[in-house]
Amino acid sequence: MKKRSILILMLVAAMAMLAFAGCGNSETSDTASDEAVSNDDGVFVIGLDDSFPPMGFRDEQNEIVGFDVDLAKEVAERMGMTFYAQPIDWDSKEQELNGDHIDCIWSGLTMTDERKESMTFSEPYLENNQIIVVKNDSDIKSLADLAGKKVGMQKGSSAYEAFNASAIKDDVDETVEFADNVSAFQDLNVGRIDAVIVDSIVARYYIQSQDAEFTVLDDSLSPEFYGVGFKKDNTELRDKVQAALDSMVEDGTTAKISEKWFGEDIYYKGE
Amino acid sequence: MDLTYLQNITYPMLKGSLVTLSVFAITIIISIPLGFCFTLMARSRIRILNRIAEIYIYILRGTPLLLQLMVVYFGLPLIPGIGKYLVFERYNAACIAFALNYAAYFAEIFRSGLIAIDPGQYEATKVLGLTRFQTMIHVIIPQMIRVSLPTISNEAITLVKDTALVTVIGVTEILHYAKTAVNRDGDTFAFLVAAVIYLLINAVLTYIFKKLEKRYDF
Repeated sequence: MKKRSILILMLVAAMAMLAFAGCGNSETSDTASDEAVSNDDGVFVIGLDDSFPPMGFRDEQNEIVGFDVDLAKEVAERMGMTFYAQPIDWDSKEQELNGDHIDCIWSGLTMTDERKESMTFSEPYLENNQIIVVKNDSDIKSLADLAGKKVGMQKGSSAYEAFNASAIKDDVDETVEFADNVSAFQDLNVGRIDAVIVDSIVARYYIQSQDAEFTVLDDSLSPEFYGVGFKKDNTELRDKVQAALDSMVEDGTTAKISEKWFGEDIYYKGE
Repeated sequence: MDLTYLQNITYPMLKGSLVTLSVFAITIIISIPLGFCFTLMARSRIRILNRIAEIYIYILRGTPLLLQLMVVYFGLPLIPGIGKYLVFERYNAACIAFALNYAAYFAEIFRSGLIAIDPGQYEATKVLGLTRFQTMIHVIIPQMIRVSLPTISNEAITLVKDTALVTVIGVTEILHYAKTAVNRDGDTFAFLVAAVIYLLINAVLTYIFKKLEKRYDF
């Protein structure tokens, strides 16, 4: 008799778990974790880092918003496709793209020479510098002052690549890599690192929105550009997206979106 | 602390906890029976089954779960030939990787449970005239469960925390939403909320396993 009651108990537990699983499934299908993945299903899936304000991040309603998201949404509409924003792990972005899990990377992606070899890029749409951020009371005044200091940056980021390509790399005491930029800023704030190397767009937004007591040095690493990354040789989709972007520049849509996020039109229209 | 702010950051995390709980439930439901199959294979007299179970457990325990997640999601579709049948959605890939990984651990847990049973018990059932099947169902398995329960409980709690790894293949769960809130607001408070949610889930789990242990205290 006792054994039967145990069996019943286990069955009930299993049922409860299944019920959980069921509601979990239906719940996730309308959030960001489930998706139909393919290039030709009428859905324009952009892969992005959804903790990257102001390019793409979650607002207080948990919706993915941002400069890139507004641009991509409008592009999707002009291409007659449904828009879908898929949060991805930044370290796996190339696999996401090459495995056709996403259609493009649209997430403040810096057009480095290395990436240009492994991806097909749109025309640049934002100009961006890798800048050095220090605390207001820091004794670091120039790039050369980084010698012997602890420097933080996002791992796998273009800041990291720009830093590694610069001569100062060999002189610093230690480089610390973070999963995201905000962690780096927080470490800077508590004094575990002395400086953060980061995209100027991100840094300006962070310092402004957080009222952080940080200073941006006048020296910067090489100027760079943001572009939309597509799977290597997927020029068909790239051209469609580029045409949509061009038409948005012409009718002033990009200017409007830029003003919304940056207060001015900084959309890059070439030299 | 502003109450609306707390609400704002907690709601997405509760949504994320449904993902955590469903991955947990599916993993438990699949990996426990699967793990037991491997236990039986490892103890079987057929050598080839032994070897298969051994190799399976060696590989799945010997590599990081994080790596296995990436292999299931990114790696399997790249296999020439059969790759196109192995394209899973993010959520499904996460469940598959977790179930396969935890089955290896459960297999070892059950094996240790079986080792703990006195050989005299097998002799006793023989004397009583029970068949091998009857012995298994009525004598051995209930005792194996009793011995294994504390370790299973340990493993289940680890599983709840391990679900945070699914974010690497783009499945959004509690910790991911905490991170997005922290990055938006530049305020680490959301991590504290995430910790509380994990603790609540594990409090319930701990309670359930305590009850189960009492049930099996014969």
